[in-house]
Amino acid sequence: MQFQKDVEIRAPREKVWNFIWDVDRFISCLPGCKDAKTIEAGKRYSATMVEKVGPFKVEFPTTIEVLETEKLTRIKAQAAGTDNKISSRLKVELDVNLTGEGETTFLSFVAGVDIVGKLAVLGHGIIKRKADQVLEEFTQAVKQRLEGDS
Amino acid sequence: MLKRFRLEEPESTNEACELLARFGESAKVYAGGTELLLAMKEGLVDYERLVNIKKLGLNQIKRDNGTIHIGALCTHRQLETAPDLQRALPALVKLERNVANVRVRQAGTLGGNLCFAEPHADPGTLLIALGAKIIAEKGASKREIAAEDFFVDAYETQLAADELLTEIHVPVPPAHCGVEYLKFGYLERPSVGVAIALTARDGKKSVGDIKIAVGCAGPAPKRVAEAEALLRGKSTEEAIRSLPRAGELAGRAAQAISDLHGSQEYKEHIVGVLLKRAFQSALSQC
Repeated sequence: MQFQKDVEIRAPREKVWNFIWDVDRFISCLPGCKDAKTIEAGKRYSATMVEKVGPFKVEFPTTIEVLETEKLTRIKAQAAGTDNKISSRLKVELDVNLTGEGETTFLSFVAGVDIVGKLAVLGHGIIKRKADQVLEEFTQAVKQRLEGDS
Repeated sequence: MLKRFRLEEPESTNEACELLARFGESAKVYAGGTELLLAMKEGLVDYERLVNIKKLGLNQIKRDNGTIHIGALCTHRQLETAPDLQRALPALVKLERNVANVRVRQAGTLGGNLCFAEPHADPGTLLIALGAKIIAEKGASKREIAAEDFFVDAYETQLAADELLTEIHVPVPPAHCGVEYLKFGYLERPSVGVAIALTARDGKKSVGDIKIAVGCAGPAPKRVAEAEALLRGKSTEEAIRSLPRAGELAGRAAQAISDLHGSQEYKEHIVGVLLKRAFQSALSQC
């Protein structure tokens, strides 16, 4: 499943960049994400993703690896986790791109999300819709937090 | 494999609601079990307690003035074979006859089907077009929820965790009213469902009231007020000319999701096709 979310933020690129690397604040924008920990600053992090669709709950303890960074411009990361209770696996490949000048930054999230296992019984469409909702809420929360700070 | 759980056997709706309130998310209502037990066997949901409501006598079908009262525990099989229902709500009987397979219909209940809110379920869509009310009880309090407001999202309804769906009230369609539900899909799960209830006027020369609902294509069934407005009060000829536009509006309102049953665009197209056919069938019944 491929997703793309673009958002214009009224904040300079450096501020957005620093916000992304302030793991606690950045992760707090992601709905259902908790227990974020830095394993190796700038390289490896861990967090637990909890989501719910009606009565179905998933909890993915996830490891996030930063694969590439280009200061003030781009971050490429990969996250993977398994919910053993419902035998399902989550894999996310995320590209974060920053463009813009002065007081405006265009932030773009491109995510490739794969979920395999029993959770698939919910149907690809429902999972895709939920993932899209989560990413949209995340994008908006990042914008609000950054613009609220100014 | 099904994990161990405790089966609670309340003797009243009040007691069932109390159990649900006391045990919160670790308890779930058990009616027919056709969806719940499968999800539990797969390990997708896990409840310490199931509150068995089968002994609460919620399986009656009654007619009260112009309304049919259907107990939440009426099975699909019971509904497809009820003679009173065949006379008053033939479209519902036809729908029930085509729900899943006979084993599911024998055990599965209408209330359970509505509460589980599986997106590819038939009854919700028709009940919206029929203007049905869902009756929810919690202790001594009772509330009525319009079927069109009952479904919130995929697998989510307006019901509070400690509320019990006890009855479904369906108004008997008036004279000169035709009702049709059409669906399309592979195997047992429909991928698109369209329901229309319309009243004809002036010897079928014009359309009176009309309700349109779409379901199965998106996360939850929906009433399509914009498409209704396009057809309501119009001459039959004008309404027929407006059907392609009404179909487009209904297709969009369905919030169709691309999946293995078809792309979003394909499902939207099918909504339009079914809407046209359902309109013509409902009109022919008036």
